[in-house]
Amino acid sequence: MTGYPEGFVSPRPAWTTGRGLWEAVARRADRAGRYLAPFLLDVAGLAAFWILATYTYAWYVLGATAYLLVPWWVLLLGVVEGAIVWESFGRSWGQKVVGRELASGSGRPTASERLRYFVLWHAFGLTGIGFVTVPPLHERLSGLALARERPSSLAPVPWYRTSAGLFTAAFLGVTMAAALGVTLTWESVVRLFTQAGQSLDFWRALVRPDTSILLEAGRDMIVTVFMAVLATLFAVVVAVPLSFLAARNLMRGPIGRPIYTAVRGAMSIARSIEPIVWAIIFLVWVTALRSPFAGILALWVHSIADLVKLYAERLEAIDQGPIEAITATGAGRLSVLRYAIVPQIVNPYISFTLYRWDINIRMATVVGLVGGGGIGQRLINYIWGVQYRQAGMVMILIVLLVWAIDYLSARLRAKLA
Amino acid sequence: MANPYLVVDNLTKVYERGQVLALRDLSFSVAKGEFLVVIGLSGSGKSTLLRCINRLIEPTRGRIWLDGTDVTRLSPARMRRVRRKIGMIFQQFNLVDRSTAIGNVLTGRLGYLPGWRALLGWFPKADREKALANLERVGLRDKAYVRVDQLSGGQRQRVGIARALMQDPDLLLADEPVSALDPATSHSVMQYLEQMNRQDGVTVIASLHFLSLARRYGTRIIALKDGQLVFDGPPTAIDNAKFKEIYGEDAEEVEVR
Ligand SMILES: Nc1ncnc2c1ncn2[C@@H]1O[C@H](COP(=O)(O)OP(=O)(O)OP(=O)(O)O)[C@@H](O)[C@H]1O
Ligand SMILES: [Mg+2]
Repeated sequence: MTGYPEGFVSPRPAWTTGRGLWEAVARRADRAGRYLAPFLLDVAGLAAFWILATYTYAWYVLGATAYLLVPWWVLLLGVVEGAIVWESFGRSWGQKVVGRELASGSGRPTASERLRYFVLWHAFGLTGIGFVTVPPLHERLSGLALARERPSSLAPVPWYRTSAGLFTAAFLGVTMAAALGVTLTWESVVRLFTQAGQSLDFWRALVRPDTSILLEAGRDMIVTVFMAVLATLFAVVVAVPLSFLAARNLMRGPIGRPIYTAVRGAMSIARSIEPIVWAIIFLVWVTALRSPFAGILALWVHSIADLVKLYAERLEAIDQGPIEAITATGAGRLSVLRYAIVPQIVNPYISFTLYRWDINIRMATVVGLVGGGGIGQRLINYIWGVQYRQAGMVMILIVLLVWAIDYLSARLRAKLA
Repeated sequence: MANPYLVVDNLTKVYERGQVLALRDLSFSVAKGEFLVVIGLSGSGKSTLLRCINRLIEPTRGRIWLDGTDVTRLSPARMRRVRRKIGMIFQQFNLVDRSTAIGNVLTGRLGYLPGWRALLGWFPKADREKALANLERVGLRDKAYVRVDQLSGGQRQRVGIARALMQDPDLLLADEPVSALDPATSHSVMQYLEQMNRQDGVTVIASLHFLSLARRYGTRIIALKDGQLVFDGPPTAIDNAKFKEIYGEDAEEVEVR
């Protein structure tokens, strides 16, 4: 820090102590991450764009399927270089997403500063050796740093005048074109209309459901509800403590921040795997034991990930005022948690839990389709067995159940708000 | 001042994040029983100063002696024991909105309660009676079981005062206690502080925005500007020239009646 008399800033703990070393490494990792995030976003964005554009071009113009049209290493070099150029001389998409921009100490970066940054980033950023020092070498030598976006008094530039905006628009355009090319062939659209008769059996059976299976199906439905209840309850037990570790405002400092990052990362990976995939994983895991157990596990994992995110976001939005006030009374840390934080989160937590339970009822059905037990498994068995009248009965039951739970959970949540 | 109760000695606070020098080498002392008013422009460091005294904010450098103890040196556990004798009220009241008035007032006893009892919410009967008595004192006995988010601003601040009273404080820190209130309500709240000061002998340090309130209630005024002490003296000593020095050349004094 410049501009302050000597001794104003508490010295950092020495390198040689364990804590000092840990802090130093954490600080460097944090700096590297600050550069890595937008860079990876830009590289991934440009690569995805190239692949989609190539695919579209090949599909419509060449009438063939192709993804690269150039050797893979040419693409890699191209997008890496493209990302560096974009980040050095403009305001890239990745920089926009992470909310940072290149800033010089003296105001707007000049062309020569940008050129220096461009060259130095190759030498020290890309190779990683620049991050040995804080601030990184390429920052020191170019005079430019990837700083947090400053609030500007100028009117925002419209998207079609920014490179990031144009890129996003082009990206969406190519995606649409490619998607249409993949999924929509003329024949399939025609078939949707000409072959409607083939599903007639199915529809006819649906309106004449077989009521004789009502009892067995009802039992499976109860299993499904229990699967959802158990998965939700066990998920809450794990998710509540984890949510505190995943709240940015509670996890500060060189020890808290890595834990936060790890928990958040693990949760977003777990969440991005759909429950149906988890169900298949667990079915294999518990050696094809076709039972609700695998389904419960699948819903459980996904619910934990989802709830931790919802809970943690609520924790991050709590009012700091009561924390300050309760601390000021001389209360201990647990009391602060109990009296300043918990009252602010109980109702939202219950509300999120009900919401997730509602989702789990529907998901439990889907998970059943792959053999995770319950009503879904019964449904898929009837469908494969061409027992459409029985399938119709099950579908009616599912609709009623989902509708009832939806209504119930909405009413309960309205009460809590 | 023979035996100062609170001594602030070369207090400096740097916020590393914003690289802000919020307090610079601030020194003053307060005698027991004083009603000290801190004035200064927005951003002059009033809140920072008050929070350094009970260490809601860690001072960067300097000492704060409270009743002969250097609070800047205390371990967290011993600091908590000191804090329970320091009441604090806030501009935004800082109540737990979802809790009742009495629930909020009872939290003033948390510093005196063993941890496990606090976690169970098992307050002694004496504390509950005391809470009702303190609500009575601030004229809110009938609102005891009402959730505080249903109370008006003035009522909420009085709940805040009752919470501070529960601590049997020796010192009361009030950070802009009336800035969110209208003039009439401001006076009623300030009168409770005055009463605590006169009747219970609580030393009060309050930051205020209006000089007229500072003159009316303070026994002494200190003024901050950019984290430095620019005035220290009796309310009568602030004349027009001093006023302009504290608030800037263009400022006009506004009355709160
Ligand atoms: N947590 C923080 N991080 C960084 N800077 C801060 C922080 N809190 C306060 N500051 C800065 O410290 C300075 C003093 O702030 P402080 O809140 O003490 O002023 P104040 O006199 O209470 O102002 P106000 O009348 O607006 O409440 C200001 O410049 C403010 O921007
Ligand atoms: Mg303030």
